[in-house]
Amino acid sequence: MREIIKLGLILLLITSISAVVLGLTNDITKGEIAEAEALVSEEARMAVLPDASKFEEEDTDEITQIVKDNENILEVYRGLSDNEEVVGYAIKTASPGYGGNVEVITGLSIDGKITGMNVVSHQETPGLGANATTSDFQSQFKEKPADNEIVVTKSTPQNDSEIQSLTGATITSDAVVKGVNMARELYNNNLK
Amino acid sequence: MEKISKGSSSARSGSEETTSSKRNILYGSSSPHLRSEETVSRVMIDVLIALLPAALASIYFFRFNAIKLIGLAVITAVVTEWGLQKIMKRPASIKDFSAVVTGLLLAFNIPASAPWWIPVVGSAFAIAIAKQAFGGLGNNFINPALAARAMLLASWPVIMTNWVTPGADAISTATPLAILKGEAEGTLPSITKVLVGNIGGSLGETSALLLILGGLYLLYRGVINWRIPGSYIATVMVMTILLDGGITNMIYHTLSGGLMLGAFYMATDYSSSPVTPRGHIIFGIGCGLLTSIIRLYGGYPEGVSYSILLMNVAAPLIDKYTAPKVFGEVKQNA
Amino acid sequence: MNLMKTFKNGLLNENPVFVQLLGMCPTLAVTTSATDGMAMGLATTTVLLASNLVISLFRKVIPDKIRIPSFIVIIATFVTLIGMFMHAYAMSLYKSLGLFIPLIVVNCLILGRAESFASKNKPVGSIVDGLGMGFGFTIALTVLGIVREILGAGSIFGIQLLGESFKPAIIMILPPGAFLALGLLIGLLNYVNKLRKNKADNQEANKSVA
Repeated sequence: MREIIKLGLILLLITSISAVVLGLTNDITKGEIAEAEALVSEEARMAVLPDASKFEEEDTDEITQIVKDNENILEVYRGLSDNEEVVGYAIKTASPGYGGNVEVITGLSIDGKITGMNVVSHQETPGLGANATTSDFQSQFKEKPADNEIVVTKSTPQNDSEIQSLTGATITSDAVVKGVNMARELYNNNLK
Repeated sequence: MEKISKGSSSARSGSEETTSSKRNILYGSSSPHLRSEETVSRVMIDVLIALLPAALASIYFFRFNAIKLIGLAVITAVVTEWGLQKIMKRPASIKDFSAVVTGLLLAFNIPASAPWWIPVVGSAFAIAIAKQAFGGLGNNFINPALAARAMLLASWPVIMTNWVTPGADAISTATPLAILKGEAEGTLPSITKVLVGNIGGSLGETSALLLILGGLYLLYRGVINWRIPGSYIATVMVMTILLDGGITNMIYHTLSGGLMLGAFYMATDYSSSPVTPRGHIIFGIGCGLLTSIIRLYGGYPEGVSYSILLMNVAAPLIDKYTAPKVFGEVKQNA
Repeated sequence: MNLMKTFKNGLLNENPVFVQLLGMCPTLAVTTSATDGMAMGLATTTVLLASNLVISLFRKVIPDKIRIPSFIVIIATFVTLIGMFMHAYAMSLYKSLGLFIPLIVVNCLILGRAESFASKNKPVGSIVDGLGMGFGFTIALTVLGIVREILGAGSIFGIQLLGESFKPAIIMILPPGAFLALGLLIGLLNYVNKLRKNKADNQEANKSVA
């Protein structure tokens, strides 16, 4: 009996020391971590809406409700210029791809154009779907009008609503376009 | 006349006649005292004969590309085997033509638009890794040509699925299976075209008719047994009638893609398939089920290579459970 | 105890990856690029050093009956610390190593060295063993990463090596390529060792004859 108590106490001592060390380190690093994460997100938003100099989360009741209800719409940010005017929106969406969810940030300007698109996370196949992160693929979306649905085509795009699919990666291309369309519709229905 | 050494099987290659010392010699060996003309090279030559019509058809359809790719695949296979056996100080076995067969089967699995180095890398992989690294002929646990194809497909997916139409100008086209799956637009080619082979696909799989002819030859020669190809093809036919709506689709499924090539020439590879007759049937049904499921519900329009590879891996297990009971064997727990 | 021998042990004779076949999970998963392989190797080495040192310092104090849970707590603490520092100060590396950082806790190499060396030897020796094994692990992962990155992406440490006409074999940065590359490297190492052993045996034989 005594031995079990002794063993338990020693284990308690070891785990307590560990907990203290971890707690201290957490305090030291959590500021840095939060900043670094925020920086990454901010950079992604900047990339799709270059006209904006800073971003704020869109916190109207309507939007907050939509984000809460819709599990595929992850974030809605409004982009502001230097003099606090809204220049556009950056909307992050998730849509199922080949290997998991594909997270896309779409930038939309207030004059109804897609200003950019960025695939921020994915689990697609290297060499095929993973090419969705290349600028060749992503720059196709720039300057497209936001009022019509974007469609994937395997041949050369004939008009402004078509983008060319990735070679050998139809599922990934579909997922990305679905994400962009979700952002587009949200913009048209609730933000214009 | 074959020299038999103690305890060996009767299928040895070569029939060398020695000199006068042969006249008064009694050979000693254990039973079964079977004589057969079957040698490894004879079997392989039969396979090559069976594949010849399809090879000629592929040259007819895909012209110089076919000649180039088949030639490179075969030459690389033979050179790799010869070279490796020299380095590893093992007896040279290229005379048994098994490397030639592997090279030819590999070439049959690639599209006509493939660049020259695809069959070279594929053949080298098939011989060096899938065959020799595991012990050479008779010891490969998976089909070398299919293993190489899987490796090529995973490494260069775009190149390996760039199907072209038969003819001088290679225009990118969709295979019938891709159209069936809804992955590609286009109308299905007529059934006659599919039978004869005037369609898009890899070099050796297009002409179902000639492949079936070759398969029948192999059955007649006793090189393969009806069980594996029979159960494989029958399972695919049943599955596609039931699950893909009707007779027409079933016919397309049976005749297009790699099914004929796989069922008669790949799934029947001696060392990677089960040994027992019941095992053969289970193997064939398994391949058929997997092929159908991958084609109809999986992420690819064609499932033959992966099905056969997966069943290859299951073959030892199938053998274990279908092993015939030895007469007189007493159950352990009786 | 010969410290140099202990150190070299981890590099070659008992190399964690090529000889002991430990830590296969991060080895196969993270070596898609040379940089990732090296980073994972260094992170593991840091944890190994720290845990070996602490466990060796307290080896007489930790009761035998609860040594495994104690070791795990100590190892997990160091892994979490490393994770937090990477998250704060090396964000891109943290993102690319992803969930394999917490998996360092279950890397059999670390618990293995704790159990078979650090709990039975003095701190200095344990540090040297940790260094040797850790560097052996790092070298193995870096080599594997270099091979897979060159063949599978045409680059090395992120620098494009081969030109446009080289079509990289994508399988090399996928799991099958990991197994293929590792298997061939282990085969190569065994072959080299066999040659060295034969040469040594021949020298022995010549010496006794002479």
